[in-house]
Amino acid sequence: MKGGISAKAGGAGGAKRGGLEALRQNVLAFPILAWFGLFVGIPMVYVVVVSFLTRDDLGNIVWQFTLDNYRRIADPVYLRIFANSFLLAFLTGVVTLLVGYPVAYTTARLEPKRRNLAIGLIILPFWISSLLRTYGWVILLGNWGIINNVLTALGLIDQPLQLMYKFGTTLVGTAYMLIPFMIIAIYNSVDKLDKSLLEASYDLGAGRWQTFFKIVLPLTIPGIAGGFTLVFIPALGLYFISDLLGGGQTVFLGNLIHTLVNRGRNRPLAAAFSVGMIVMVILVVAICSRVTRSKREGFLL
Amino acid sequence: MKARVNRWQIIYLSVFFVVLYLPVLSVILYSFNANASTAKWTGWTLDWYRQLFNDRVIGQAFVISIEVAVLTAIVSAVLGTAAAVISLSLTERMKKAVQWVMLLPLLVPEVALGVSLLMFFNALRLPFGHLTLVLSHSLFCVPYVYVMVRLRLAEIDREIIESARDLGATKWQAIRTIVLPLVMPSIITSALLAIAMSLDDVVISTYMSGPRATTLPVHIFSMMRVGVTPKVNALCTLILLGTFLIIGLNQFVNIKSKPKGVV
Repeated sequence: MKGGISAKAGGAGGAKRGGLEALRQNVLAFPILAWFGLFVGIPMVYVVVVSFLTRDDLGNIVWQFTLDNYRRIADPVYLRIFANSFLLAFLTGVVTLLVGYPVAYTTARLEPKRRNLAIGLIILPFWISSLLRTYGWVILLGNWGIINNVLTALGLIDQPLQLMYKFGTTLVGTAYMLIPFMIIAIYNSVDKLDKSLLEASYDLGAGRWQTFFKIVLPLTIPGIAGGFTLVFIPALGLYFISDLLGGGQTVFLGNLIHTLVNRGRNRPLAAAFSVGMIVMVILVVAICSRVTRSKREGFLL
Repeated sequence: MKARVNRWQIIYLSVFFVVLYLPVLSVILYSFNANASTAKWTGWTLDWYRQLFNDRVIGQAFVISIEVAVLTAIVSAVLGTAAAVISLSLTERMKKAVQWVMLLPLLVPEVALGVSLLMFFNALRLPFGHLTLVLSHSLFCVPYVYVMVRLRLAEIDREIIESARDLGATKWQAIRTIVLPLVMPSIITSALLAIAMSLDDVVISTYMSGPRATTLPVHIFSMMRVGVTPKVNALCTLILLGTFLIIGLNQFVNIKSKPKGVV
């Protein structure tokens, strides 16, 4: 508190030299901004530039302006890949929300000791190799995998079920990988809920479900929107999951970009697809943050 | 507050945790299977681990990964902590700008970030290898250090720093003797997290690896693509063991540093 007051007093005294004072105060931040500008900002701008360039037969970038890459993206075959990726990322958001919400909600209402244990178990996968976690599903779902073995042993099936290499398999793997993000985001907003609102709702005669849909759900929408962003963005680019579990049956943006860079050596086209991917992210982030903001204002009014 | 959870909620939570850890446990279990395929369980063996230790390529990739992870952790700890401490004395606007910039690497899908860095470093003619790996990994590790150190800084009583200044300590002295020791546990935790994230990264490392510097995850991914072999299971199990050692170490550091804490 004391610090706050003295800082304010100092600020008032330096008001005349405001610009210079602020500059002196902020000068140490410039290296940080420069670091990220150099290694994130400039590469991003560079990708946009490359997406308008051509290449020679060896795959080297040639500085010649063209719109060809974007013309090729507009091809229905490629638009289909955009749609696939969007669908995968969107459904990952939906699945993690539906599965994760009850987990987050229940966890937030546990007694402190059990709650800490549950949170630990939710966070622990962050520390476990994502390749291992994907590979676990290969072992579980494969034709000679654990699930098929168990079902065969129980006499429920004669032939192994084809569980691998489907869109659904990739969806399961991606949702599994990212669900901790969704749960933590929702947990934080459930935890912040003003408990007296729930009491009031019960006192006024609302039932459990009514209270949930009328009070809890609307108030946790910022958490849901935040979780959706945290899940949607990585879901677009985790190509190793669709590679190992989807077997390339459905082509996603991540796999396509990866192939174009590594084998196709068509970097300008890969750059154009990357730009498309980033545009998709910007749209979703914009929508999610707008949802959050309108909810907040609505609540304040 | 009374905890109100019914039986169905507990059952749901338990089933969820079983599913969450089932794939992990399957990988561990089948690393001890004598049969090379998951089709049959033919008894326990340590053969796959033996094969692993004789694999020179894996050994090399492991050494490179560790080197990169440790360097990444050091770079990230220094940059992230510096950014968090500097944020203490910035104007509100600049604070927001720094926060926003820190979010940037996490807002870009990894493939897009990897490809853009590949093209950029290529244009700069940087040699691909340790340098590019550490640079790119620290991009997504610094924000975590920054956030964790800032959370800790927010807990520190400002008056302690004020008193130190009143008693004649310079700004730098106050930071070195008061702020840094207090945030040290957070720095260590986030540095260990940086090690784990660096050791785990596949997507960006694929683009940043040089001809003579392939990281372990990149190598494991190519092993997995070729086919299912318990050797991969054994390798994954060992990595898991290493990670848990790191977590244990971290818990130890946190517990040890707690009684001393002024706050």
